[in-house]
Amino acid sequence: MRKFRIATALALAGVLALTGCTVGTQDVDTTSAEGEVRGTLTFQTWNLRATYRDYFEGLIADFEKKYPGTHVKWVDQPAEGYADKISADAAGGTLPDVVNVSPDLVAPLAKARLALDLDSAAPRYRDEYLPSAWRSSRIPGMKGTYAFPWYLNTGPLFYNKRLFRQAGLDPEDPPRTYGELFDDALRMARRSKGRVATLASVPTIEDFGRYGVRLMNRSGTAFTFDEPKGVELLERYKKLYEAGALDAQAFTSTPEQAGRKFMQQSVAMNPGSALDLDKFKKEAPRLYENIGITDAPDNTGRPNMYVQGLMVNAAGRNKATAVAFAHFVTNARNQMAFAHQTTVFPSTRGALETEYFTKQDGTDRTRVRVATAASLEKAVNYTPVLMSDDMKTALQNAVTRAVRGDEPPGKALGSAAKECNRLLEMG
Amino acid sequence: MGTLAAQPAPAAGADAPERTRRPPGRRGPSDRWRTGPRDETGRRPPAWRTALRYLVLLAVLALMAGPFLWQLSTSLKGPGEDLYSYPPKLLPADATLDNYAGVARIIPVWDYALNSLTVAVAAVVTNLVGASLAGYALARLRFRGRGAAVAVFVMAMLVPLESIIIAQFTMMRALHLNNTLIGVVLPGAVGAMNVLLMRNAFSNLPYEVEEAAFVDGANVWQRFVRIALPSVKGTLPVVAIFAFMAAWDDFLWPLIVLSDPDNFTLTVGLNYLHGTFADDQRLVAAGTIIAVLPLLVMFACLQRYFFRGVGEGAVKG
Repeated sequence: MRKFRIATALALAGVLALTGCTVGTQDVDTTSAEGEVRGTLTFQTWNLRATYRDYFEGLIADFEKKYPGTHVKWVDQPAEGYADKISADAAGGTLPDVVNVSPDLVAPLAKARLALDLDSAAPRYRDEYLPSAWRSSRIPGMKGTYAFPWYLNTGPLFYNKRLFRQAGLDPEDPPRTYGELFDDALRMARRSKGRVATLASVPTIEDFGRYGVRLMNRSGTAFTFDEPKGVELLERYKKLYEAGALDAQAFTSTPEQAGRKFMQQSVAMNPGSALDLDKFKKEAPRLYENIGITDAPDNTGRPNMYVQGLMVNAAGRNKATAVAFAHFVTNARNQMAFAHQTTVFPSTRGALETEYFTKQDGTDRTRVRVATAASLEKAVNYTPVLMSDDMKTALQNAVTRAVRGDEPPGKALGSAAKECNRLLEMG
Repeated sequence: MGTLAAQPAPAAGADAPERTRRPPGRRGPSDRWRTGPRDETGRRPPAWRTALRYLVLLAVLALMAGPFLWQLSTSLKGPGEDLYSYPPKLLPADATLDNYAGVARIIPVWDYALNSLTVAVAAVVTNLVGASLAGYALARLRFRGRGAAVAVFVMAMLVPLESIIIAQFTMMRALHLNNTLIGVVLPGAVGAMNVLLMRNAFSNLPYEVEEAAFVDGANVWQRFVRIALPSVKGTLPVVAIFAFMAAWDDFLWPLIVLSDPDNFTLTVGLNYLHGTFADDQRLVAAGTIIAVLPLLVMFACLQRYFFRGVGEGAVKG
């Protein structure tokens, strides 16, 4: 009797494991989305419900009115754990029809044949978007574009004019290249006897890109950030750290912690977004009086931008409706309306030339918005699409070892590139 | 179940020295509270030593309670107050409850709290029932593979949730329990840790007690309900608190298994307060306080059980 029960339990567990495995691996057509625009679909956004609920409910109502017989179910996921959530849904076959993704999130889904290739399935929409934005969801080594570009974001660099003045630097002439940044930072550290750091975080992959380091080879098969230019960047950062120009907690601090240090006025520069100005006004009024705004320094003439996209689930039952909806959300009119809700930038062609993004009206928000929009014209998404969170961690660890002086920069970066390539091969 | 009667004497023998090992001068905690601070010999220590002791205690209190008080203070600060001033100000100059209302405006915080409460209460019930049944079986019933079963429970504690979470999710999906609160409760319904806690509690109960009940004609269920359970009253609240806290605080699993925002638990829902483009520290702090409050209340209600002996009320004399 007992043995029989154990056998049943084992068999049940086996059946569950088998059914679990089969979901999500069925062969799907990723190149077409024929059919009628009607029926229900699920639309998943990433942490937008709390603040922009009215906008999205209006948007969905408009879509349902334009295409009678459609019904959109909107779900929103919180900020943390989004990548885990998507990979669990992909494995479980419960991925929504239209999913808000960033380029690095779409890459594994495209490889798993779960993302619809828009170059094949919906090429007619391509010319409506900025070419650099459309290209952002291309994956090196694969043919096709796997997400509609949605909103763009890039941030200005804030700096503390009071601290610049104290160090004898011109508060109206912030650094524009990395060379100037490093010189100013060293001077700031010397004048304040190491009490005021200029930077609060160690370089990330975007910094390597802006510094002019080649990050990957053309075919997307290997990382190349360990080239001499990358090593040079780390050597400069190492000097900053030794001089006290890089905050001592830079290795472990999150963007929020770095922002807090900036608000406490113990760090002189910090990247941010237009919304931060309101925050400074509210939470750190004394800093607000001395705030300066500039572009993040770069050696390439091209600032960095972040792209959010909308992926259509290739395994979904209602692909034609999903494509229609994803295009509807990202079309010129609706993106412009979203840009009026908050400080994001539309990825549609010509939108950045409109008055809203070019004309000053004397407010702080507009000041930052116009400055940012101008820099977006030339911006590129430096972060390689194929770089996963694990790879970013590998790089960050190497950067920490090198800047702290535990390992020579060349050796640290070399081993990080090797580790990233190994992870890349594993897929 | 004749095996129980044949239970050998060593159990009784092992228990006897346990009782006599207690040092004669040691008092119970209740005596100490009544008479004020004394050292081992019963004399009142010099004032500076008492002062030092309290100083250390205060320092530890500041260390443990400080971050919580800081959150409480931030959640009460009104707009326009400098949150990042140096030195930091603990007392809000312009105290307000608006931030709590703000949390409720942004997210349906009471719905989420109700979901969390449902999940946590269900987890407490399933853990109490499941862990005490399993713990009793592992401690008292004789069956083949009992040692192996205990080893399985120990090993289950070593597996990190993150490594099996996708497999767990596909299993819930196969059972059509994804996006339900049952799916949230099920994997933690009987925690391995709680089973081991209960097993140890039951093992501390002297065998003679059960033997006496057996002689009186009690069957195994009666012995479990009437004898064994009342004697582990100290451990049950511990299991209840652990189960409640684990269910209340869990983030990753509810996030994975739930899709519809209406079903979210409080920890997942409060994550919405971390805005996509900007954080309001006051709202985040208010959300944190809302999330922690039930745990505080629960602990305050059950804390006296925490320190109660496990084997109390066992063998008299």
